[in-house]
Amino acid sequence: MGSELDLQGLMARYQQGDRDAATALVHRLSPQLYRFFLVKVVSRRHADDLLQETWMRIHEVRHTYRCGEPVLPWLYAIARHIRVDHYRKAFRSEGREQPLEAGDDIGAPPPGRPAPTADLQALLATLPDSQREVIAMLKVSGMSLEEVARATRSSVGSVKQKAHRAYEKLRKGLAGMGMPNVRGRGIS
Amino acid sequence: MKDRDIDEILRRAADGAPEIDPALLDRVSQSIGSSLRPVRPPPPAWVLRAGLALICGAVAAAGALLLRPYGILKMSGWEIAPIFSVLATLIWIAAVLSVAETIPGSRRPMAPWILLPAGCIGLALVFALLFHDYGTERFVSQGVKCLTAGLALALPASIAAGLVLRRGFAVSPAAAGLAIGTLAGLAGVTMLELHCPNFEAPHVMVWHIAVLATSAAVGALVAWTTGAKRPPHPGL
Repeated sequence: MGSELDLQGLMARYQQGDRDAATALVHRLSPQLYRFFLVKVVSRRHADDLLQETWMRIHEVRHTYRCGEPVLPWLYAIARHIRVDHYRKAFRSEGREQPLEAGDDIGAPPPGRPAPTADLQALLATLPDSQREVIAMLKVSGMSLEEVARATRSSVGSVKQKAHRAYEKLRKGLAGMGMPNVRGRGIS
Repeated sequence: MKDRDIDEILRRAADGAPEIDPALLDRVSQSIGSSLRPVRPPPPAWVLRAGLALICGAVAAAGALLLRPYGILKMSGWEIAPIFSVLATLIWIAAVLSVAETIPGSRRPMAPWILLPAGCIGLALVFALLFHDYGTERFVSQGVKCLTAGLALALPASIAAGLVLRRGFAVSPAAAGLAIGTLAGLAGVTMLELHCPNFEAPHVMVWHIAVLATSAAVGALVAWTTGAKRPPHPGL
């Protein structure tokens, strides 16, 4: 809650033209935005492009943020829009481009850090886009159900349902990898 | 496996995600900083919603006065109350959705594509309950006149709504266009209920409701087309 208030304060100062607030927002929010883009199993190069494009769009439409409203749904609604646009363009140009060797620049973990593991990447990749997006926002970015519902322009019930289905799929997938299949509780 | 085990796996995966190149963050910060100036946030949502609803009502009333309000003069109080209550409710919901669709991350009571069929069905039910003349005299010629007048009025209503929301940013242009088109169409229907003295049920249920459906469809199509042609940001 305190963190959200900090973000709201930074956004208000950013709207007033405070350079330090803008820099603080970029440094604070970029890592989670970057992870959000990477969850979609895009290459680092694409994630870099998406991040830059998202910040440029945020800067362009920063006046649409209303003081006192939660920052993350506003931010992710824009990031989501940029990502959808990006894939639409990529889909259109897919037929005209020669693909590079597969897996050339998927982010490798830095030395000394635990690897996300190819299996988990593959597991998330088996989820439909909408479920993967909800899981990324809830569990990778740490947003609440209400915030995810606002960012994805859907209802809280729909977000809960997608998360529940995603967990069922993940549970089955992990059980298939040899992990015990104990039925879990609902999404909290 | 329990949910918390999956949470833990996801958390570990997120922690292990590659880090961003610090040079990229510096480049983004510098680019933003170089063009930083104060901006004015939008007015409170209720101001925008009330503004849109008032515009819708004012445009409809002006149109009806221009064409003469024969319809409302011919109606009884039992007809006026339900028809205009339903229209006012739909106008308010359309105004709420139009604002929500142009401010990213807003809470929406429903999706615009639900409002359109719900509005058409709601109006059709009210008309079916109130009007029992099933004649179809000059069905097409009178209907086309009403459709044309309703759409002609929806145009200025949509332009005015677009001006009120011009500082917004629609993450889904088609949905925003659909909401604004629905709102403008409701202005057209309201004008027709004030003006049109033809109370034949088929006329009202087909041609008056067609104004709403056509305006919403045109709004979505125009917004989708212009949104698709929006140039990408030049970047850093």
